[in-house]
Amino acid sequence: MTDTTSRRPLLTPKQVDMLRDYVPFVAISLVILLFWAISGDRFMSVRNWTFIAQQTPVLMLLAFAQLIVITTGSIDISIGSNLAFSAFLAALGMMWFGEFGLIVGILAGGLVGTVNGLIISILKIPSFVTTLAMLIIMRAVVIIISDGTSIYVTDGSISGGTNISSISAPWLLSLGQFPAIFILAATVAVLMWIFYEKTAFGQQLRALGGNEKVLRLLGTNVTIVKIKVFAAAGLMVGLASCVNLARAGAATPQAGLMIELDAIAAVALGGTPLTGGYGSVTRTIIGALTLAIVRNGLTIAGVPPSWSQVALGVLLITAISISLNRSKVDVVK
Amino acid sequence: MNNGDAAPPLLSVENVSKSFGGVHALRSGSFNLQRGEVVTIVGANGAGKTTLIKLVAGAHVPDSGRIMINGLEVLRSEHSVANMRERGIEVVYQDLALVPNMTAPYNLFLGRIPRKWGIFVDERKMRIKTREVLDKLNVTTVQDLSRPISSMSGGQQQSIAIGRAIAWGKEIVILDEPTAALGPNETAEVERIIREVRARHGTSFILISHNLDQVRRLADRIIVIHHGVTSREFKREEVTSDRLVKAITLGE
Repeated sequence: MTDTTSRRPLLTPKQVDMLRDYVPFVAISLVILLFWAISGDRFMSVRNWTFIAQQTPVLMLLAFAQLIVITTGSIDISIGSNLAFSAFLAALGMMWFGEFGLIVGILAGGLVGTVNGLIISILKIPSFVTTLAMLIIMRAVVIIISDGTSIYVTDGSISGGTNISSISAPWLLSLGQFPAIFILAATVAVLMWIFYEKTAFGQQLRALGGNEKVLRLLGTNVTIVKIKVFAAAGLMVGLASCVNLARAGAATPQAGLMIELDAIAAVALGGTPLTGGYGSVTRTIIGALTLAIVRNGLTIAGVPPSWSQVALGVLLITAISISLNRSKVDVVK
Repeated sequence: MNNGDAAPPLLSVENVSKSFGGVHALRSGSFNLQRGEVVTIVGANGAGKTTLIKLVAGAHVPDSGRIMINGLEVLRSEHSVANMRERGIEVVYQDLALVPNMTAPYNLFLGRIPRKWGIFVDERKMRIKTREVLDKLNVTTVQDLSRPISSMSGGQQQSIAIGRAIAWGKEIVILDEPTAALGPNETAEVERIIREVRARHGTSFILISHNLDQVRRLADRIIVIHHGVTSREFKREEVTSDRLVKAITLGE
């Protein structure tokens, strides 16, 4: 009798599975406690948390875009360049059409996403290769159309010099500040959750990631669905670019450099497998928040930026190795 | 051809062929299916069985030959899975029947997700209908409808796959090796479902099977396909297993 009890594992497999679901929540709690212990009130202050609340939304929206694509088993690494491109077109749109010109930025993001989707599903080029090419192309396009200069958003109190392109939009700048940016982000998060969990398209993302061939054999037009998936992700990037424009106060050709990796990391930190079929909006938010907090905490603790990057990389691998059920993974590519 | 007194068969496949990249997957496939009949297709691996049913299902367009439903030819432009499903023809493919990460209701409604207000999933309707279908098939093993299919046994998964085909396949249900991956009890269960549905609803079945005992238990007629040609046809009562093996391996 003692034999059987002593041989029983500490946790049943079902309990281990449940724990895995909570890894992102445990991770973020540990990270917060760690930085609180290291930096005390400089980290755990209203001022700093307001700062984090302002820094996270752009990353969160980009992580949503990535989540849409990753759930289907594809990946979109063009979102950093798309962010810069869309922000630029949003700024240009505002120069041309006034306030509502901001929509041009969202549509531009959707356009880039649609092009991604068309290339992937019609030319049948893997998403990694297609979006890598688009990453390079769109960054070049931004530099070409901007001529290497930035467009600034001003509050109208100072008139720009003759050489500087600027748009006067104080409302946009205040949108980039707490609490407006936080309310906007929370609203988008709720809408994203409804889209991802409750709509037929949201479920189609999971099915596509689960087994594309089955869908095709049952008569689903997978080509169209894939184009829509990348278009939807692109629209989300377009929205993120508007928030980034508000936040940064400028559309610059360098905007969003390497941010696609942060977005992928945020999704992965949320425990979403990059192989597709599964995902969670809530845990993706936690992932984005974790990444923002770690970056912020390391800066406050005085860790040099390059070492911060190393720490983020280590965190990513640790989080994934714990959350991934490796007993179910038979092929690693 | 019809004399007016005999109704045309529910399905009539006439000399269909299909090749992929110059390789003949099917040279000439012909067979009929009457309403309420169970026809099995037997043949060696690579003989062209799956290609033949994919043509009937609309997943491939035949290179030549024609397919008639109720005496009316299926036009090339109509040859799609969506159109064939619209006409009440459903297939359960051997390894490609289900999406493993989705729940039973989603798998039952794959490609036909009911919607509320155009964009939202009507989950309640899906759950009710799934229960109905499982009850209709007397499947009692699937209880928790919120679990992904991948966490269920092979028999439970196959019940759901066949349930989907039977739920939507008002005319013809095509099953590709439905019991190949199942144990004896689960095989008996699937065979029971096929018999009951046929008896109660008059559904017609096309069955691919390697299990000759099963073929002789279920089939009214047996079509032998050999090297891409539907070479022989037998009535169940007039054929022995030995005779079938000879036809499958030698085409005689």
